[in-house]
Amino acid sequence: MSGFSSIGKRLLRFEDRRFLTGQGAYLDDIVAPRCLHAHFLRSPHAHARIRAIDAREAAWLPGVRGVYRGADLAAMAKPLRMAPPIEGLKPTEIAPLPVDKVRFQGDPVAVILADDRYIAEDAAELIAVDYEPLPAVTSFAEALSPSAPKVDETLDDNLVAHQSFATPGCARVFAEARRIVTRRFVQNRVTHAPIETRGCLAIWDEGRQHLTFHVGNQAPHPYRTQLAARLGLSESQVTVIAPDIGGAFGQKIALYREELACAALARATRRPVRWREDRMENLAAASHAREDACVTRAAIDAQGRILALDVAIEEDFGAYCFFPGNYLARVVALMTPGPYRIRDYAYDVRVALTNKCGAGPMRAPMSMTSWIMEGTLDAIAAELDADPADIRRLNMIEARELPYVTVTDQRLEDITPRETLEGALAHLDYAAARARQRADRARGILRGLGICVVVESTTYGSAFYKSAGIPGSGHETAVVKVEPSGAVNAAVGLMASGQGYETALAQAVAEGLGVDPATVRLQIGNTDVAPYGMGSRGARGATAGGGVLYLASQALGEKIRTIAARELGLNDIGELRLAAGRIERRLAGAWEATRLSLTDVARIAYLDPLRLPPGLEPGLEVHKAYEPPAMTFSNATHVCEVVVDARSGRIAIERYIVAEDCGTPLNPMLVEGQQIGAVAMGLSGCLSEHVVYDRDGQNLSTTFADYHLATAVEIPHIEIVPMHTPNRSTPAGVKGMSEGGVMGAIGALANAVDDALRPLGIRAEALPLTPIALRRLIRTATRRSAP
Amino acid sequence: MKRVPVTLDVNGESHALSLEPRRLLSDALREECGLTGVHVGCENGVCGACTVLIDGAPARACLIFAVQMQGHAIATIESVARGGALSPLQQALHEEHGLQCGFCTPGLVMTMEAWLKDNPDPDETAIRAALSGHLCRCTGYQSIVAAVKRAARIARERA
Repeated sequence: MSGFSSIGKRLLRFEDRRFLTGQGAYLDDIVAPRCLHAHFLRSPHAHARIRAIDAREAAWLPGVRGVYRGADLAAMAKPLRMAPPIEGLKPTEIAPLPVDKVRFQGDPVAVILADDRYIAEDAAELIAVDYEPLPAVTSFAEALSPSAPKVDETLDDNLVAHQSFATPGCARVFAEARRIVTRRFVQNRVTHAPIETRGCLAIWDEGRQHLTFHVGNQAPHPYRTQLAARLGLSESQVTVIAPDIGGAFGQKIALYREELACAALARATRRPVRWREDRMENLAAASHAREDACVTRAAIDAQGRILALDVAIEEDFGAYCFFPGNYLARVVALMTPGPYRIRDYAYDVRVALTNKCGAGPMRAPMSMTSWIMEGTLDAIAAELDADPADIRRLNMIEARELPYVTVTDQRLEDITPRETLEGALAHLDYAAARARQRADRARGILRGLGICVVVESTTYGSAFYKSAGIPGSGHETAVVKVEPSGAVNAAVGLMASGQGYETALAQAVAEGLGVDPATVRLQIGNTDVAPYGMGSRGARGATAGGGVLYLASQALGEKIRTIAARELGLNDIGELRLAAGRIERRLAGAWEATRLSLTDVARIAYLDPLRLPPGLEPGLEVHKAYEPPAMTFSNATHVCEVVVDARSGRIAIERYIVAEDCGTPLNPMLVEGQQIGAVAMGLSGCLSEHVVYDRDGQNLSTTFADYHLATAVEIPHIEIVPMHTPNRSTPAGVKGMSEGGVMGAIGALANAVDDALRPLGIRAEALPLTPIALRRLIRTATRRSAP
Repeated sequence: MKRVPVTLDVNGESHALSLEPRRLLSDALREECGLTGVHVGCENGVCGACTVLIDGAPARACLIFAVQMQGHAIATIESVARGGALSPLQQALHEEHGLQCGFCTPGLVMTMEAWLKDNPDPDETAIRAALSGHLCRCTGYQSIVAAVKRAARIARERA
């Protein structure tokens, strides 16, 4: 981390000013003349046949310009075929809009275009849909029952993905084990809830036969590929522009049906079409996540060493596959062993369709991974009456064992799990905390400590996608240009939604080039300007995006130095550098200014190319692609100390500590912001968020008054202990981060509450840990122990 | 629906409009007055993103009809940085990294600008309680709390 001049600096964000003064330009702030407003009529039923749709009355309403049903859209756009050639995954298809059947409450059945949003919503009330309600499937267990109605009638059953694995010796280890510890984990269905909902603005240019599509999307280029294909257009007929995004968290990756419909209708009506999703739609019908249940079985020896681990995961994926069904749960199974020495391992991952909103990746798509591993270690400790920290130490790989190839072929390298474990425990003063706990337990106070070691998969390389059997590429691309005036423009195929790329990625460019970060302008979110990249997903921004920008800038810096060397009559560019936009020369070990600035070199490169060294192209522009390693990892240990109020079920989080190693931070202030934000999202999901469906498949949590995001009162002060060490195989040693905080928070809080409840003989195995849920648990325990 | 005339007094400027009585203040401010710093996050009064000041007091613009605002003075985020200089709270949010995506920021700035006037020396518990009317999905609130503390300190030093 030493030796950098821009990377690693705590620079304040360049993007802040426009957001602080109300000048940000989010999707709904973009004005288009003659624009029509789209509104979607949605199904009130979880599962029903559409017999007929009568929109005559709606169409007569003044200001209504059209009402379109699934059958109309089917003629304008192609379905989404989700059929990657993956063993155990069934192919599915999603029509532009449902034609003959709705599959969840909130499924769109018709779209109204009107002069304003108020009129469009009026019109929706005038549409008569004749539904034939069908029995709904609302849980994983129901979905797999032989008599279950089929969510997707093109499939044999509701089991959309099923994959398993076992090492050859695993069954025998279990058969011969003297002790087997079993634990169950139930994760709650949650949703991303960005404060800016979804939306889009589609502008069709009939003369040029070109679609300009504004949408707050994290991965504009892959989005463009899909949008063009589904409209039957070429990729040169579509420009996707992502404006400022008011939060995304994984919800703004897929091409949704509402967006496709707006694009198709802008083309059909030759008028701009916009859609602004309301909050009820966002909570009911955008995308959900994380409804998983898992049972772990650990075969252990007398000291608590894990001899074999078996993990069975069930995931409720909802009604539609906007992502392959195995996309999330399978990776949980691959990553669960984490930093522990587990040689025999088996997993079984089953994913079912139900009549609920479709699931997708949400910040920390593999959120459950750390909780199930660390919860299992706690269960082992409880079984042996051992200290949970000691059980971790006993099983954890040591620094000298690195690089360590896990039983699922993940190569762990340049990680420091043992260091962060000890770092976090020391920061807490673990012995003192246990002493507090003993004293409180003697007084009947439910104090608990939770530890969660996280190994966060950050940057997914192409090799990982290939070997894990999920579609995708991990490379990233960048273009860095020094313009004739010396101004620096840098483009990359990512898109920001709050991460501070305009600052952190400018630091990567500034470092590679040798200029002040404030002079670097980042160009992202426009598919005509930025090179084709894979977008912002996972925690790849810093490693893949920052990495490729750094490499491209270094290459451009070399060209600049080559030109400068010729101007100065030098042979060796190693004696030259660019610093703060000036060319400097090393003389007797010290850097001294030369007569040249970056602007002088740029002027020669563009306007006086005959002066360039032979063989050098005019201009200052580098295009670069970078393929990261198969996987990069950050690691952290989260420690949480809670007191559970037995009478109210309320959890008071007294301490929350994260000791984290996420490699070279591009900007430590932004890294800390991401870490704390991720922990808050994890805690919020654990404490209060819950997408609740009743038995008929009615969503009961479609306002923020029912779907509870934690506020500043519930989220505690989070203490960050930076313990960064570089990754030796990535540019600048970057590892990436921003999802591990979610994983650690779920594990640390759930383990802490579990620890607090131990004297009552009960286990907190189902999230969320709301006061109501905890109170119910505690009441059963107290009743059981009553004489 | 029949439109009615209403004059909105926003950030010291007068807007003579003809609006449907059902038109939300949030929509009128954004679309008729062009003040897109008023962000719409839930239209339910929960998230706080659309908060503006009405006669100096914070209010959810999504829970008010624009036609109710005749004779009231409205202030939006666009009026806070006077003469282009960030207010102490805006500056503190910048320095403490108190915003990420920025969508919730204008609303909570409006609430806390007014709150700090009545609470010049708040402690952390009070700040967190005051912030609890605003949902932020990015920051975990910690840096916002720090920014409010810093802004209060700066304002006290200036006073």
